[in-house]
Amino acid sequence: MKTFAAIDVGSYELAMKIFEFSGKNKMREIDHIRHKIDLGTETYSTGKLRCDKVDELCNVLKEYKEIMQAYKVDGYRAYGTSAIREMANSAIVRGQIVQRTGIHIDVLSNSEQRFLDYKSIASKGERFNRIIEKGTVIVDIGGGSIQMSLFDKDALVSTQNLKIGVLRIQERIKSMNAAPSQTVNLIEEMVNAQISVFKKFYLKDRDIENIIVVDDYLSPWVAGRNRGTDKEGLASREEYKQFMEQLHVTNRSEFVRKAGISEEAVSLLLISAVLMNRIVDMLDAKLIWAPGVSLCDGIAYEYAEQKKMLICDHDFEKDILACAKTISKRYMGDKKRAEALEHLSLSIFDSMKKIHGLGKRERLYLQIAAILHDCGKYISLINLGECSYNIIMSTEIIGLSHAERELVADVVKFNHEDFVYYEDLSKDSSLDKDAYLVMAKLTAILKIANGLDRSHKQKFKNAKISLKDRELIFQVDSQDDITLERGLFAYRSQFFEEVYNLKPVIRQKKTF
Amino acid sequence: MGEKKKGFEHPEYYTNRELSWLLFDHRILSEARDKSIPLFERLKFLSITASNLDEFFMIRVASLKDMVNAGYTKCDIAGMTPGEQLAALDKEIHELVNLQYSTYNRSLLPLLEQNGLVVVKNHEALTEKEGKFVDQYFESNVYPVLTPMAVDSSRPFPLIRNKSLNIGALVKKKSGKGELEFATVQVPSVLSRIVPLPTEDGEKKIILLEEIIERNIHKLFLNYDIVCAHHFRIMRNADLTIEEDEAADLLKEIEKQIRKRQWGEAIRLEVENGMDKRLLKLLRKELDIEESGIYYIDGPLDLTFLMKMYGIEGFDRLKNKPYVPQQSPKLPAGCNLFEEIRKGDILLHHPYQSFTPVVDFIRQAAADPNVLAIKQTLYRVSGNSPIIAALAQAAENGKQVSVLVELKARFDEENNIIWARKLEKAGCHVIYGLVGLKTHSKITLVVRREEDGIRRYVHLGTGNYNDATAKLYTDVGLLTCREAIGEDATAVFNMLSGYSEPLHWNRLSLAPLWLKDRFLYLIGREKENALAGKEGRIIAKMNSLCDRDIIVALYEASAAGVKIDLIVRGICCLKVGIPGVSENITVRSIVGNFLEHSRIFYFANGCSEEIYCASADWMPRNLERRVEILFPVEEDELKQELMHILDVQLRDTLKAQILQPDGSYEKIDRRGKETFCAQDAFCAEAMERAEKKKEETNGRVFIPETHHE
Repeated sequence: MKTFAAIDVGSYELAMKIFEFSGKNKMREIDHIRHKIDLGTETYSTGKLRCDKVDELCNVLKEYKEIMQAYKVDGYRAYGTSAIREMANSAIVRGQIVQRTGIHIDVLSNSEQRFLDYKSIASKGERFNRIIEKGTVIVDIGGGSIQMSLFDKDALVSTQNLKIGVLRIQERIKSMNAAPSQTVNLIEEMVNAQISVFKKFYLKDRDIENIIVVDDYLSPWVAGRNRGTDKEGLASREEYKQFMEQLHVTNRSEFVRKAGISEEAVSLLLISAVLMNRIVDMLDAKLIWAPGVSLCDGIAYEYAEQKKMLICDHDFEKDILACAKTISKRYMGDKKRAEALEHLSLSIFDSMKKIHGLGKRERLYLQIAAILHDCGKYISLINLGECSYNIIMSTEIIGLSHAERELVADVVKFNHEDFVYYEDLSKDSSLDKDAYLVMAKLTAILKIANGLDRSHKQKFKNAKISLKDRELIFQVDSQDDITLERGLFAYRSQFFEEVYNLKPVIRQKKTF
Repeated sequence: MGEKKKGFEHPEYYTNRELSWLLFDHRILSEARDKSIPLFERLKFLSITASNLDEFFMIRVASLKDMVNAGYTKCDIAGMTPGEQLAALDKEIHELVNLQYSTYNRSLLPLLEQNGLVVVKNHEALTEKEGKFVDQYFESNVYPVLTPMAVDSSRPFPLIRNKSLNIGALVKKKSGKGELEFATVQVPSVLSRIVPLPTEDGEKKIILLEEIIERNIHKLFLNYDIVCAHHFRIMRNADLTIEEDEAADLLKEIEKQIRKRQWGEAIRLEVENGMDKRLLKLLRKELDIEESGIYYIDGPLDLTFLMKMYGIEGFDRLKNKPYVPQQSPKLPAGCNLFEEIRKGDILLHHPYQSFTPVVDFIRQAAADPNVLAIKQTLYRVSGNSPIIAALAQAAENGKQVSVLVELKARFDEENNIIWARKLEKAGCHVIYGLVGLKTHSKITLVVRREEDGIRRYVHLGTGNYNDATAKLYTDVGLLTCREAIGEDATAVFNMLSGYSEPLHWNRLSLAPLWLKDRFLYLIGREKENALAGKEGRIIAKMNSLCDRDIIVALYEASAAGVKIDLIVRGICCLKVGIPGVSENITVRSIVGNFLEHSRIFYFANGCSEEIYCASADWMPRNLERRVEILFPVEEDELKQELMHILDVQLRDTLKAQILQPDGSYEKIDRRGKETFCAQDAFCAEAMERAEKKKEETNGRVFIPETHHE
């Protein structure tokens, strides 16, 4: 039996959950401690955190530490989200926290954070699998932004971040000094534009039946209905509409009291409700599911997965790849060619495992890079590398951290352009030396794979790749003319040789 | 619907809570007057009426006076202004006091004498020999601790302490003519008020301390002649109103308030009947008290000494045989409580069953290496509490111990502060209550790390964690390790530690946020069932019922045909038998040897009955200004046990008094009925069950111990 503490330094709440892992695949929440502290409002507007807030944060974290000690936890993870992320002096504040409490707070990029949320939903197992059989959108409502993630045939294909988090909306409404009666309309106007753009660009004619909601205000309401029945956590569109009507009646706080929601949460609940109402309408969804999970669940899930205490039946890599394919499709990438390139580069990767020493995750980067290798073409044929790089950097791929995304973008870029070495690259890149080396190795592979398919005719589709002495041999049985490939290969393989000190060689075995 | 509800709120449908409280004190007094009860038990009841009345004055009467002084004229639930209430109380209290003393003088004193205990009423009645004895007693024991005070132009009127007994005198200088001066001396509370006189024939004779002092008062004012000397006692306004937002350190503030309490406005002056007019006038003026606040007493002031009299040895035949709380058959001595609780929930019914398992629960947790944390709320603890000692021990053993000590528990603050400090010293995390709320809930959580994971053990009760009162108060407690309740208990302590409320509750309902709605829902559900043609049924047992919203809900339910039986020991503002309003409601009050204190609530809920226990009464202060917990009892066997408790109480024909439509209480007419006393029945059952268990375990076969650790 192991215990673990997950701390979420959120934009309006500092939460800690204590989990217990026992037996096979058993994860149980033991304690959930929440302290209201508004870090977001200030950070979003000024970029910094006042000293007294830092004090409060440290004091509560110190208490959390005592609670962890009481439970004798075997490990902990503390993650900061948008409020910490957008803090200009984040490193200084986090340094102070370590000094005063001994707790290290890591910052999650948006896509990492959402991926953890997503993992925690997926950890719900059977219900999750059933829900995503039909068209589904995950709406993850946070203080700073909301995340809309789209499923297509049980894989997550696209995800978008909209900066209309509840705290941010509240802040804006406050600054407008609007009458309470106008609030609902204001919120609707604010969110309408963004949601309809999302619908137009990403939804097209997909049929969305289900919405999975992850948040702190609506979820308790949804979860509170039908508790203990097999409908727990589910609300139909009609039921949701009834809820909205109740919210509109005059005595809102009376309703909130009856619904069992705390008074202080009223205004954020209202914003969440209106937001969700717009989404339900826009998508014409029929069912809302609130799995009642939070970031803490995701943190614990990830920890357990890494420690091999949990095995999930959902394939998250498939989601990441599906996402990449959706992006490629969006920018009119050549599907056939991408598949050939993917196959070829992965074959090279697999055949030289001993040499590059890279693992499963790096293989995934390469695969994504291969899928996205030509997305920049959509914008410019000349400036292909730079354009691809920019597209990847500005498109979220759920499950990839910011740094990982940059790594992939660099691989794609240098596939087309001259390689820039660390000494120069590090000037405006966040990659550290290790990541840089990975990037260089993957680039070299992608470059020759690309070279072998210069004509885009997949001549090397069935090439056998083998390693002999200091040579990497590509044996093709193809009857095709490979003059073009041969001709350009020498140039393409230069970088490969430089990185691996291996010479790639093409051998064509002609059968007459 | 709205109009109808309005109808149920009509003031005529309610009894004023203060007047209802007085009826409760009357019911206790009627026990003191009950000839079928052993004489010394009757003394005890009389003593209780007196101490109850003291507290009632200090809190309730005082706050009504405050309201009148502040010009507050809002009517209470029964439509009375504070002024009207005071006027009504005045009359009733004077009658109650008269009845107290006629009981003392006419019934109890003669009976005591018949049974060999003579109380010498006045020092004048002492024999010469006895006189010598008391004078000697005075010189060697009393004189050294007295502080006589005289008033003249250079010395102001002294502070007369709250609730203290005093002897006031008018004195005159021996030397000259001079004027009459006032002098006073407090009857020291450090000395026993009852002084036994030497006797020869086995008969016992006692005299009260104040008589001895009065007899010797001239020795205190040597240069004066004593013109007259009389006993008097005052009561002051003691309602603590702490400005919590202003008090940076609550602890210090309460310490300050305790010191201040002695200085409150005088609201009652008790004087010996026949007090010298001049002396009375002077006291009245100096204490600034109205005529209505003066009580002329025919007998000794402050009858609480009767409780001490109960302790006089040699009269066991005039007392109830002391009852020894029995072992719960589920918890044999020396058992591992955690093991037993894992087998299933355990219900304890105190004082019939011993409170020891609750103390052991904390003791075992403190010593258990697998226990990670112990959390508990403490409201009133006994002096030298074993629970406190166990908690301190747990902290010293390195466990995380969090204790919420409620400093605002009335009259117990001094005690609580001492314990709180002691716990802090031992390394416990002590929370000194919550701003604006009293924490009245009784809950203990033990978190234990076991092989198959973390398990939470919870004790929930209706009574305080006080091993002394647990022998006198009837309460129920539940020991459980149900996960749903464990989760809720964790959430309760998180809330008490200042963290946000949980996203949802599994089983518990908490005041002040959710409990009232929960009760209203449960009552309303019975109403709906009745309206739908199903049986509606509520049985509720509590100490007091005066919340208007709850009463309205009960009236609505009754009107809809729900049959409601209430067992309310004290205040009940609900009226029975109002046509169309409360015809289906009965109210009974049980006043017995043990103080009825448990709160049990039964709801038929169609065919799936639900039964709950709580720390809360149906009073606004419980539901709105306190942290209270309502918990369901879910195991069938235990539900039946609770049902049995309610049932036995409803069957009582001896101690139960039934509320009549005219607002009075009457004992049950037993003609043709069997005499049945619920408390006695519980005692008998508990003994029988414990005995049976003993027989089962103490077979004739020796059981060799096979394993030693």
